[in-house]
Amino acid sequence: MRYMDKSIDEIRKALDAQTVTSDTLFQESVSLAKQYQPASNAFVTILEEKKEQNTSTILSGIPYALKDNISTKGILTTSSSNILKNYVPVYNATVYEKLERAGAVLMGKTVLDELAMGGTGTTGHTGIVKNPWDDTRQIGGSSAGSAAAVALGIVPFAIGSDTGDSIRKPAAFGGIVGFKPTYGRVSRYGLFAFASSLDHVGCFARNVKDIAYVTDIIKGKDPHDMTSLPDDNKKYTDTLDHDIKGRKLFYIKEAFENYENSDNLEYKETISKFLETVEKVRELGFVVEEVSFPKELLNAVYPTYMAISCAEATSNNANLTGIPFGVRGEGNSINEIMMDARTKGFSELIKRRFVLGSYILQKENQEKLFKNAQRVRRMIVDKMNALFKKYDGLLMPASGGIAPHFGEKDDQLSDRYLILENHLVIANFGGFPSITLPSGFVNEMPIAINLTGRQFEDDVVLNMAYKIETITGCKNQIAKGGK
Amino acid sequence: MITKEKLKDYAGKLMFDMKEEEYDTLVKEFDVILKQMDFIGKIEGIEQVEPMTFPYEIGHAHFRKDEVKDILETVDAVKNASDVENNQVRVPKVVD
Repeated sequence: MRYMDKSIDEIRKALDAQTVTSDTLFQESVSLAKQYQPASNAFVTILEEKKEQNTSTILSGIPYALKDNISTKGILTTSSSNILKNYVPVYNATVYEKLERAGAVLMGKTVLDELAMGGTGTTGHTGIVKNPWDDTRQIGGSSAGSAAAVALGIVPFAIGSDTGDSIRKPAAFGGIVGFKPTYGRVSRYGLFAFASSLDHVGCFARNVKDIAYVTDIIKGKDPHDMTSLPDDNKKYTDTLDHDIKGRKLFYIKEAFENYENSDNLEYKETISKFLETVEKVRELGFVVEEVSFPKELLNAVYPTYMAISCAEATSNNANLTGIPFGVRGEGNSINEIMMDARTKGFSELIKRRFVLGSYILQKENQEKLFKNAQRVRRMIVDKMNALFKKYDGLLMPASGGIAPHFGEKDDQLSDRYLILENHLVIANFGGFPSITLPSGFVNEMPIAINLTGRQFEDDVVLNMAYKIETITGCKNQIAKGGK
Repeated sequence: MITKEKLKDYAGKLMFDMKEEEYDTLVKEFDVILKQMDFIGKIEGIEQVEPMTFPYEIGHAHFRKDEVKDILETVDAVKNASDVENNQVRVPKVVD
């Protein structure tokens, strides 16, 4: 009997009925992780020993995985970068402590795009993560390993981080659910900072109720993170089933205008299936309307994200010198040692992003690039907040297609790339709660929808997603490679 | 105008170097990125907008009292350093 491909409710029931023990679950999870590791490469570290606190919560005794940019005392935490390949933290991230206190059992640390900067799952120092539906394709990133582990049925849930779309995009390509709560809902203490004003901690699971169970445990004000939100004193699992009749959603017209005329069949099918889903969502009792959004703002989403995130990242990662921690470089002076450590420790992609960040922060470019990007960020967030006065959520295709093959590259100046492949970033600009749900298949690969709601209304987003999940036919699905 | 020399200068300021061919890739990448960045500058009325540095107006930021807590013991602080002597991280002499 396999349990790791089941829902949290089913696993809980088996544990409570003593038909299985948490020791057996841990062994099952670890052995599945090892079995799938050669094909998927989801893990940096698979734990050998189980550490469990004796508590009684919904998650007690249930194995899960953490992205390897989340600090775990005494357990290697590399951020999938060569410069940190030997780093063993001396303190715990709050999200890890909360899960530990709830009795959840950590079974491994998952691969990410190096330092969480990247969306392909191909830049981690231990190698590429493959999509469990088709190993010639990416799973997406940066939380690539966490998405793969859940899609493969190695764990029922996993923790990730999301600065642009790093939970929601790999969830879409992996056919699972990925949730980024409101900015500050989950403490960032112990998460290796990428871009502090955009970074979120969130989770993956195979159904919305499991996402709510996990979020109920990991959320809350944290004295170690001054940007963490005050407790909302809500239990998201309690309101999942609330009536949604009359809830209003919108989708953005300009995101896939004239899609019927495209030569790209996967794109056409993805959008037409999205529109079929919209019809079914209407039948549930939602009002869904097409809304026009200024095209100039949509085209500016991606460059705005690049400018802000690379600038913040350049500054945040200045502490990676290899001297107080990390892999030390060689040289006769401090400068030479740092130069050697950073030259050898970062991959090419990271260096390119840092150089871009540095360029943006140069005095002569700050006003034109950095400050203007921050101005556009406000314009986009203001526009969203204005729409959220009338609507409860934004419903969109999570991507304009299916998981790309390795090496496949879009035309980065096309509308489709700039808008449809990057609109998830809007939720990071405004800290909006945002969830990706699997919604069907194109060419036997999963496609997904994304639902983004008002700031602080995580409960409403989960309630709406829980209802929408009933019409997708994709609840609790396991990837082909995990069967 | 982006040149290889400028990019080398930025990389140097960031305390790393790149291979020649990587700088070539970067020059090409800058071409695309700067074209994308042009979208930002063309937005009407942008100059009147206050730059946004945080997702929402922060009304809840809390500062803790200035009390000693969460002490990182020296033994832990140097645990991840590769060159340690007498509980201190050793580096080459800085001042002659």
